[in-house]
Amino acid sequence: MPSLEQYIILAIILFLIGLFGFLTRRNLIIILISIEIMLNGLIVLFAAISHFTKDISGYIIVFFIIAMAAAEAAIGLSLVILIYKRLRTVYSDEITTFKG
Amino acid sequence: MNWDLIIFYYLAIVMIFSSVFAIFSRHPVYTVLLVLVMIIHQAFLLLTLGAEFLTVVQIIVYAGAILVLFLFVVYLINLRKETKRNVFIKRASLIAIIFLVLGAFLMINFFSLISLKPSFKAYLPFTVEEKSNVWWIANYLFKSYLLQFEIIGVILLVAIFGAVFLIRKVKTFE
Repeated sequence: MPSLEQYIILAIILFLIGLFGFLTRRNLIIILISIEIMLNGLIVLFAAISHFTKDISGYIIVFFIIAMAAAEAAIGLSLVILIYKRLRTVYSDEITTFKG
Repeated sequence: MNWDLIIFYYLAIVMIFSSVFAIFSRHPVYTVLLVLVMIIHQAFLLLTLGAEFLTVVQIIVYAGAILVLFLFVVYLINLRKETKRNVFIKRASLIAIIFLVLGAFLMINFFSLISLKPSFKAYLPFTVEEKSNVWWIANYLFKSYLLQFEIIGVILLVAIFGAVFLIRKVKTFE
């Protein structure tokens, strides 16, 4: 049986990969997918802690995280489609409407 | 070496490498398919943690609903090839160096933290007891966490309304 430390290290690595993709990619869809990778790291962390401390609350939190991810993907992708309809681009450094 | 550690290392290595290749991939369809590989391996990682119900929910909701939604949006948007330009923003290498330092700092911090406290010991999963994992989750979800369950239903409803409101007919201008 692998220990809790190995699961936590896996969760940290997945979270850092997702955060790196979130900060550095140009494509808005891949930025949203990076958020999904970060949420998957959190799912591993909560499920491992819930398993090793023998408390069911972590599994319930994982359930809520999956529902939150569904809502967040729906809203985020509709925003991406809206940006593509208005501005004809999905690259984050070409959206200069606000001169940002 | 027992089979638990072999299965765990296989799942962890495939998850890490598929997510790294997903971030560094040049085409968005490859990214979505690599994330699909990562999510299915993570579902089996949840199975090693004794959460069968969450395994099934992960496969149905993530692989069946969310990633198909991403694939539809990738097909819907006419992406030109990203081969001409860099897929990352300008200062990506600086951010990568900062992330290596941050990851090393987190690992060192974590190991110093667990060296102070006594290590966690592995307990038996819920499934070997007289009730199954699904019974425990349902018992807690519909008794202790009933208000939160209703709130997450309202959040999903509001998300549906928001998506429909955002995608309604707008004037496009070139």
